[in-house]
Amino acid sequence: MLKINQLVKKYGDNLVLNGVSGEVKDGQVIVVIGPSGGGKSTLLRCLNRLEDPTSGQILFEGTDLMTLSEKQLDQIRTKMGMVFQNFNLFPNLTVLENLTLAPQKVKKESLDQTIAKAKVLLARVGLANKADAYSEQLSGGQKQRIAIARALAMSPDVLLFDEPTSALDPEMVGEVLKVMQDLAQEGMTMVIVTHEMGFARKVADEVWFMADSQIVEKGTPEAIFDHPQEPRTKQFLAQVLAQ
Amino acid sequence: MKIKKLLILVGIPCMLLTMYFINHQQSVLAAGQTVSQVQAKKTLILGTSPDYAPYEFLVNKKGKNQVVGMDIQVAQKLAHDLGVKLVVKSMDFDALLVGLETGKVDMVISAMSPTDERRKSVDFSDVYYLGGQSILINQTDTRDYHSKNSFIGKKIGVQTGSLQQALTKKQIKGAQITGLAKVPDLVLALKSHKIDGIVAEEPVATAYASNDPELVQIDGKFDLGTDMQGSAIAFPKDSPTLVAAANKSIDQIKKQKLIPQYLKNAGQLMKINTHNTSMWHYWAYFAKGIGYTLFITIVSIAIGILIGGLLAFGRLAKNKVVRGLALVYIEFVRGTPLMIQIMFVYFGIGLWVNIPALVAGVIAVSLNSAAYVAEIIRSGLNAIDAGQTEASRSLGLSQRDTMRYIVLPQALKNIWPALGNEFISLIKESSIVSIIGVTDLIYQLKVVQSATYKGVAPIFVAMVIYFIMTFSLSKLLNYVERKMQHA
Ligand SMILES: Nc1ncnc2c1ncn2[C@@H]1O[C@H](COP(=O)(O)OP(=O)(O)O)[C@@H](O)[C@H]1O
Ligand SMILES: [Mg+2]
Repeated sequence: MLKINQLVKKYGDNLVLNGVSGEVKDGQVIVVIGPSGGGKSTLLRCLNRLEDPTSGQILFEGTDLMTLSEKQLDQIRTKMGMVFQNFNLFPNLTVLENLTLAPQKVKKESLDQTIAKAKVLLARVGLANKADAYSEQLSGGQKQRIAIARALAMSPDVLLFDEPTSALDPEMVGEVLKVMQDLAQEGMTMVIVTHEMGFARKVADEVWFMADSQIVEKGTPEAIFDHPQEPRTKQFLAQVLAQ
Repeated sequence: MKIKKLLILVGIPCMLLTMYFINHQQSVLAAGQTVSQVQAKKTLILGTSPDYAPYEFLVNKKGKNQVVGMDIQVAQKLAHDLGVKLVVKSMDFDALLVGLETGKVDMVISAMSPTDERRKSVDFSDVYYLGGQSILINQTDTRDYHSKNSFIGKKIGVQTGSLQQALTKKQIKGAQITGLAKVPDLVLALKSHKIDGIVAEEPVATAYASNDPELVQIDGKFDLGTDMQGSAIAFPKDSPTLVAAANKSIDQIKKQKLIPQYLKNAGQLMKINTHNTSMWHYWAYFAKGIGYTLFITIVSIAIGILIGGLLAFGRLAKNKVVRGLALVYIEFVRGTPLMIQIMFVYFGIGLWVNIPALVAGVIAVSLNSAAYVAEIIRSGLNAIDAGQTEASRSLGLSQRDTMRYIVLPQALKNIWPALGNEFISLIKESSIVSIIGVTDLIYQLKVVQSATYKGVAPIFVAMVIYFIMTFSLSKLLNYVERKMQHA
């Protein structure tokens, strides 16, 4: 479904992605772990072209994203949902409108259709009663669940998560991870950047360890967590487990 | 590197513009004006500064402001002799010769003396009136001042750019000279003891002294050179036929001894004004001023928001040239005084197209406000978290839709209050259009001052009116803002 080839991203002289390659298959859950500053967010943001890669190739369902126009990219982005660390709900819109805006404007779905779908999704993340609320009235965990529902409202083929629980109070992490775990079980294709190692072990089909602008090591959760091969991976896991 | 580019970007157009202006200016000056040209257009446009009774001043006749006085009667005589209609245009004294040079008016009669310096840029007729130079003092000071020689080391007031200024500089050694644009302002300065005396034409001094018991007129006893006295009519440079025609009319004025009669008429008209000097009597003046001030402000803020919005998006555009141009415009406008911009639009642009003062004022204030509005909108948009745009784009919404549905609605909450402030400050700042003769509140305040010989009362009234306007507007905006926050 998603293939990256020798992806390079530079900010000025700062090499942030140094030839990253990988593949995400249909229905797979990829969990990306690694130290802060390693390039995980940049990689994710390059995948839906929020960031322009300096060179390399991104193939999404066979289309080379590097060759597309702005307009074509907008179409591609409808199939790639993204969930951010800081939720980024639209505070000027109600929860329901957060979910219906893009399907209406981009996919030209009818209002009734989008509202019906939004209500189903809200029920699914356990927030059916918040349809008319504004984001300032919600807790962090509720906001992130709404943000996931918003991404789902576009019926994407793949979901990208950038540290979805890092900004949450510890007691709210569980409710968000639960939603994500359900999605994984339903067969949603996902790329998840996270520091929740227990969660990673549970849901990941493949774990990518990223550090120093590269993917240092890839493998099943067992391979990475129990038998890491690279010294850099061992060092990182030791640090994380010590905490 | 960037700054260098910017300098080149701004510098070169400015230089070219300046060069063009210098060239163009000369060609306009060289043109002159002929009797047949004036007769062809059937009107003779007089430029004057009507704050100098009895030479020229305003009276309210049947609810309308009218410029009257001795000079106006001279102008009427000339227009009559040429067989054309007289049109009177009011401007600041300082702006009169520029108005003549740029073709806004055909002639200037404003108690103006034909000095050598002025002769360099305009042509003068013969002198039509020769009055002495008097000094106005406070009634309480009569014992201390007797002539110009009493003022050595004292503070003395004159109209900026006037003959009296040059005369005082030359003949009262060591006097501290205060120059103000208008006689009523000078009188205020005198009565509040900021200055000790005012040098003015004899009839002007007489007018004030006879209408205000607190003021006394004394003979200046100035040493008046041959070329430095009297008043003459100014025409554009190289207009020999007009000068000849004017001299013919002036000859008749002298032979028929018309001046004393003109002065008498003027004196009677002045009594209309001083008949009732309560501020209520002049409410129509202030009302007209309020109307113009509000009109200019409202139109300017509307145009300012339109152009300012475009500029703000220009500043945020991807295209480097568009970004650069918007930046240059905004920085240039914010880096120059509104007063100069107004004069530039009225006199400068006026070289190509003749635009009325009100239109020039609205254009200048709008273009000025656009630069400030652009910055308000830009900083409002910038204040919105980049995450909002990213979230919107990640859903497939285009850049346009993102702006329209996500960024702009949020930015408006910050933009509204700042725009409201701009609106309020525009009410106050637009007052500067009075220098080109737009009859806004400040202009009307000066009219009432010179009509009533009262200095402070009109200022107080105008101040209160400004406050009422800005205060009620800010209350209204607060109300709208509160409603919006709850929406
Ligand atoms: N917009 C940007 N401009 C310049 N440098 C950036 C930008 N975004 C990220 N970086 C740099 O790229 C590197 C990788 O950042 P990031 O992808 O956020 O890492 P991670 O998500 O793994 O913590 C960091 O050194 C960061 O400073
Ligand atoms: Mg990150």
